[in-house]
Amino acid sequence: MNIRTVTVIGVTGTMGANIAGIFASFGCARVYCLGRSMKKVQNTIPRIVMSVKADAIAKNLIPADFSMLEECVGKSDLIFESSKEDIRVKTQIAERVGKAMLPYAVSGTGSSGLSITELARCYPQKLRSRFFGIHMFNPPYTLPLCELTATEYSNSALKDELKEYLASVLHRTVVEVKDSPAFLGNRIGFQFINEALQYAERFKDNGGIDYIDALLGPFTGRSMPPLATSDFVGLDVHKAIVDNIYENTCDYAHRTFLLPGFAKGLAADGKLGRKSGCGLYQRIHYENGFTRDTVYDINTGFYRDVIPYVFPFADKMKQYLSEGDYQKAFEELVKNHSLEAEICLSFLLKYIIYSLYAAKEVGFSIESADDVMATGFNWCPPLAMYQALAAVADVPGLIRERLPQICREVDLTHLLAAIKPSRYDYRIYFKSGRKIR
Amino acid sequence: MNRVYILGGAQTDFERNWTKEGKGMAALLKEAVADGLEAAGLTFDDVSCLNRENRIACFIGNFIAEKYVDQGHLGAFLTEVDPAFYGLPSARYEAACASGSAAIDAAATKIRAEEYDVCVVVGWELMKTVESRIGGSYLGRAAYYAKEGKGIDLPFPRLFGRLADETLKKYPELDEKRYMDALARISVLNYANAKRNPLAQTRKWFMSYDQASTRGTQTNPLVGGRLGVSDCSQVTDGAAVIVLCSQSYLKEKGFWGKPVIKGYGHRTAPLLFEKKMADNKNSPYLLPWTRQACLDAYKRAGMAVEDMDVFETHDCFTSSEYASLSAFGLTEPGKEYQAVESHLIAFDGEKPVNPSGGLIGCGHPVGASGVRMMLDLYRQINGIAGEYQVRKARNGMMLNIGGTATTNYVFIIGAEE
Repeated sequence: MNIRTVTVIGVTGTMGANIAGIFASFGCARVYCLGRSMKKVQNTIPRIVMSVKADAIAKNLIPADFSMLEECVGKSDLIFESSKEDIRVKTQIAERVGKAMLPYAVSGTGSSGLSITELARCYPQKLRSRFFGIHMFNPPYTLPLCELTATEYSNSALKDELKEYLASVLHRTVVEVKDSPAFLGNRIGFQFINEALQYAERFKDNGGIDYIDALLGPFTGRSMPPLATSDFVGLDVHKAIVDNIYENTCDYAHRTFLLPGFAKGLAADGKLGRKSGCGLYQRIHYENGFTRDTVYDINTGFYRDVIPYVFPFADKMKQYLSEGDYQKAFEELVKNHSLEAEICLSFLLKYIIYSLYAAKEVGFSIESADDVMATGFNWCPPLAMYQALAAVADVPGLIRERLPQICREVDLTHLLAAIKPSRYDYRIYFKSGRKIR
Repeated sequence: MNRVYILGGAQTDFERNWTKEGKGMAALLKEAVADGLEAAGLTFDDVSCLNRENRIACFIGNFIAEKYVDQGHLGAFLTEVDPAFYGLPSARYEAACASGSAAIDAAATKIRAEEYDVCVVVGWELMKTVESRIGGSYLGRAAYYAKEGKGIDLPFPRLFGRLADETLKKYPELDEKRYMDALARISVLNYANAKRNPLAQTRKWFMSYDQASTRGTQTNPLVGGRLGVSDCSQVTDGAAVIVLCSQSYLKEKGFWGKPVIKGYGHRTAPLLFEKKMADNKNSPYLLPWTRQACLDAYKRAGMAVEDMDVFETHDCFTSSEYASLSAFGLTEPGKEYQAVESHLIAFDGEKPVNPSGGLIGCGHPVGASGVRMMLDLYRQINGIAGEYQVRKARNGMMLNIGGTATTNYVFIIGAEE
């Protein structure tokens, strides 16, 4: 596939800008950077350059506004739409692109979960075969995951060519997924994050948000605790993803996608997270340069200082991890029967089961669950998580013992039959969070 | 004399930041040693058995852990990895960025002298414990610190920038643009090669000819004279392990087809950069002692550059890789640009250099680099380098330097004839 000219629509958004950077750098493509206002686009160009740390791509970036859409699209080999996650907005754009695109061009949407098939239908019949879902993760320079979705209209040879281009030219980890709400990475990731949010509400008397984050932190196989991740992504995005999954899917974990009441309230008040100054957390900056980390207290409705929780099981795990004693760390997790250790382990086990389940439903192989979680979330992927725990415990037995309810709802034996060694090294993902010097 | 075989080995993922993971040297060494032994087909029980018979020893390559992690006595530190190392002879070897090779040299000598049957060589450095300017000052100890490093911001980029200046001075017929262009292409080549190496630090990073050849910008600032960030290797955390063994051990275990160390060279040039440059005036080579180390290795192996199929060189800066090309004998001195322009050293060229990505692409945890180079040559010759495997690799050569090409270590590895 020879892609020399690309139009990115919606370039002033974070994803649009970062993806324009990927096409202009690795893709070495001339990129029309399209936004609502020329001025905003011009102000975005330096951000695009810095997203791949290369001034050399600046000459490949051509600012344009929406009035120039047809002109830019008409000159492009590939069109990438990265507009607002709103079906009406995306439909309008798809219709305009469909009228202007070259017969041999490829068109893609960066939608994180809307129906790709529905959007394909906005294109003239003969061009529907050339439309795909191309979902990347933020920031794509460090998270190489790219979920590729074909539809019933897609040309299969063209899909293979596109896949090859994304993998070998743009250096993406390409995972083919079905046209299913939120696709695979967010389905697995937000099952975990949203259930953690539900647990924050359920355990609000124990501390709520920071309490749950403290027992699912980096020592459990991720860079950032789950609710801090939600705060980083924004509750608006979080809500859109879980609402979409809740409304359009129905599996054994269906109720875990219900957004808790307090989070709905925060979203409605515009308290979305880091991007709006406060959300689940709030960092207060003082004039003298000091900062103070506070968290939303679900009981009182006010922000209070984050509590530096010390759970004996977590403390021991962190100590073992800092010295590279992984097995001892996992043994501590499995053998400790405090409430916190049991919640923590149950989340990791549920994550493995839901990943196996979702990979069957949304992906095309069990490895796809590993790829999406490792390269899209930077979490210890499920097969590697299984391997980590299997070194110290009989994982199927542990699941039956700790999660009897889920065992009644899924065919565990069938799901576990898909387990195979992971291509990823679990040790990289379990971090102690300790200062070592 | 006994022949020295390479049983196998492993490296850590050079992308990792162990400080961010909250893990220290104990964790680093536990992972690297366990992986290295496993790849070499050894268990900790094997180590214990060999140790009972006093047939095994360990050799640690590390430059300056005293500064980066406040720890010395590194040979003894292996006892923290596993009780199998209790009682096992082990010591640390240091020659700045060539520390890994100094450890290999000591290990190979013990096998050659038939004193041990198995030698475990571990090279490591944790460099992300401090911010880059402080780390840069630590690395200044590889030069004559009081005269060339103390109080100087980033002494090594400056010194290798001077090496670039000296290259142009020594070869007046060399066009400056042509030279800088060759340096940019060397950088691009290393970054491109690293894309195929799943353990390379820069495997996700972007580099292009335009980016590398436009120095002095916000994203490619000048770091030493005419050299930009793109000409510079990385600050890296990592470890590499190789296991060497004697012929009798190989037979005892029934292993076969293992590569052998065919030759080595080890020369020390004047420590001070100025003296080093003054010393080259009667030689056509910019770095005559680097060239001599290569000649010594060829002589010991009874081989010549024509016999080499793949190279791993010490591209701490593009200017050092450039000078190494003639030292290997790939071009005449002063004509190194020809090897770059003709694609001779490209991944699919006749004489690929740094298929791993080298220090610029794969990363440069200084004490580990020599061991990592030998591990990569082992992988190439054994045909197990995966995506970065080059064609018909029967023999390979590595150059590992310490300081401003002060310590020069060269090894030739090859399949047994």
